[in-house]
Amino acid sequence: MLTLEGVQVNFGGVQALKSASFSVGEGESIGLVGPNGAGKTTLFNVISGVVRPTGGRLDFRGASLLRLPEWKRARLGIGRSFQIPRPLGHCTVRENLIVAQRFGAGKKDPKRIDEILDLLNLREKADRDATTELALTEHKALEVGKALATEPSLLLLDEVLAGLETNSKRAFMERLAVVRERYRLAMVIIEHDIPTIAALCPRVLVLNFGQIIADGTPDAVFRDPEVIRSYTGETTL
Amino acid sequence: MTTKHVNRLLLIVALAVAYVGVPLLFGGNAYVLGLIVAALTIAGVAVAWALLGNLGGMVSFGHAAFFGVGSYTSAVLAMKLGVPVFAAMLLGGVGAAVSSIAMLPALRLRGPYFALAILAYAHIFQILATEMTPVTGGAGGLLSIPRFPAVFGVDFGEKTGGYLIILTIIVLSGLAYDAVRRSSWGLALKAMHDTEVATRVVGVPSTHLKAAMLALSAFITGVVGAFNAHFISFLEPDYAFSSGWTVLPIAAAIFGGYRTVWGPVVGALAIYLLDQLLFKPIMPHGHQMVLGVLLCAMILFSPGGLMPALRRRAAKEARHAHA
Ligand SMILES: Nc1ncnc2c1ncn2[C@@H]1O[C@H](COP(=O)(O)OP(=O)(O)OP(=O)(O)O)[C@@H](O)[C@H]1O
Ligand SMILES: [Mg+2]
Repeated sequence: MLTLEGVQVNFGGVQALKSASFSVGEGESIGLVGPNGAGKTTLFNVISGVVRPTGGRLDFRGASLLRLPEWKRARLGIGRSFQIPRPLGHCTVRENLIVAQRFGAGKKDPKRIDEILDLLNLREKADRDATTELALTEHKALEVGKALATEPSLLLLDEVLAGLETNSKRAFMERLAVVRERYRLAMVIIEHDIPTIAALCPRVLVLNFGQIIADGTPDAVFRDPEVIRSYTGETTL
Repeated sequence: MTTKHVNRLLLIVALAVAYVGVPLLFGGNAYVLGLIVAALTIAGVAVAWALLGNLGGMVSFGHAAFFGVGSYTSAVLAMKLGVPVFAAMLLGGVGAAVSSIAMLPALRLRGPYFALAILAYAHIFQILATEMTPVTGGAGGLLSIPRFPAVFGVDFGEKTGGYLIILTIIVLSGLAYDAVRRSSWGLALKAMHDTEVATRVVGVPSTHLKAAMLALSAFITGVVGAFNAHFISFLEPDYAFSSGWTVLPIAAAIFGGYRTVWGPVVGALAIYLLDQLLFKPIMPHGHQMVLGVLLCAMILFSPGGLMPALRRRAAKEARHAHA
């Protein structure tokens, strides 16, 4: 459903993406890993329209996304979370979802919003101020919730599990699995923790210095010498 | 009774006083009624200005441009093309909204940069009005602009009729403002203030929404400008585009409470009537200074303005009454 070919991003002198190419099939779950600064977030920014690439192709369901603004891509079915949570300003949790549903999915469906709140364990915080009254797990959950409320067919999750302690992380992973089944989504998940990735994704992409250096099953990828080298210091791969 | 009921009741009482009480009380006093109409004219622009600031997150120093464009559009349509005055007035609003399209490039600018850009635009429109002599009469202005006609036995060309028109413009503008604020558009606009990118990636066309608020604010301001043109029946560029049409409404909105829908109206009435009826007779020269001091005091003691201060006070008394 999504195809990138030779996508390139330069920030002044920094080449954040050198030449990224890969595709995502309908309903596929893909783990995206790579060392800090590899360009993972930049890749999501390109796909969601936050950053314009300096070169390359980007197609979604057969049409190029490159000229479309963020909000049109959201309406086409591309949902994303932010690595550093960005709750919508001055809104409650529920209002965050309402805005996302109203504009991203073009509908008013309180039932589905309740469903999302329940799935993500946010029901109790529904009417709290999303900027000031949430704990980290809830912030991460709301990132997923905002994207889900737009009714995406492709969900891009940027380190939504990072920083959570073991129990909440396990619970969150289970919720993501339920969400994926319920809404039949394709997912790309950025995550540093390899067991987590291996548990959630049958396919893994490794990004290093702005290029995909490996693409395959978790087993194969994490045994690849080049991948191990890219994670210098992390010998327990 | 909930706050919602209280608010609704207050609004109904205010409307009754405005539509029935004021004409009965001041209908015979052309001087006072004239002052009230002038205050409401400022109030109309103040509501439009506050709408743009509150919903669109944009601080404008250029509302005089919309006021001027609205007044000239309407006056010229009525005088040169014979368009009926009420229709011309609405078209004046449309003209102002259309002129806001020229300001769209400024929407990418934030905070003070937007404010300054729109100030520059206002100046451009004033120059245009001065230079397009064949249409606008140039610096000499337009004289004997048609007044409002009589409809169903009410002469809208008279002071009381004019009062009813500007009052209605303000009531409708306030209701429209309130409706937008409560809608999902209002929610998205609120969300956009600090987190525009996050709002865009969930599907909100933020620039379109801001442009729509600019157009709505311009439309209201243009209608008010057009009303004024037909009410006083005279226009010249220095007057129609005067920075006073920007400064006084801002002062009124801040004084009354720019975060509320009706605060700017209360603020305009308070500021203008105090100034004209109280300060001016006492201090014929420099009475505006008192206004400045009053405004500063308000910002210091109740940054939210008069309406929130009154509301806090009412809430406090309600608590005391319970105890
Ligand atoms: N807006 C920007 N302006 C300038 N440089 C940027 C910008 N965004 C990212 N970069 C740079 O691009 C490179 C890739 O950053 P990116 O955030 O995509 O990495 P990442 O793989 O997500 O890293 P992390 O694991 O730390 O989140 C880094 O060198 C970063 O400093
Ligand atoms: Mg990142």
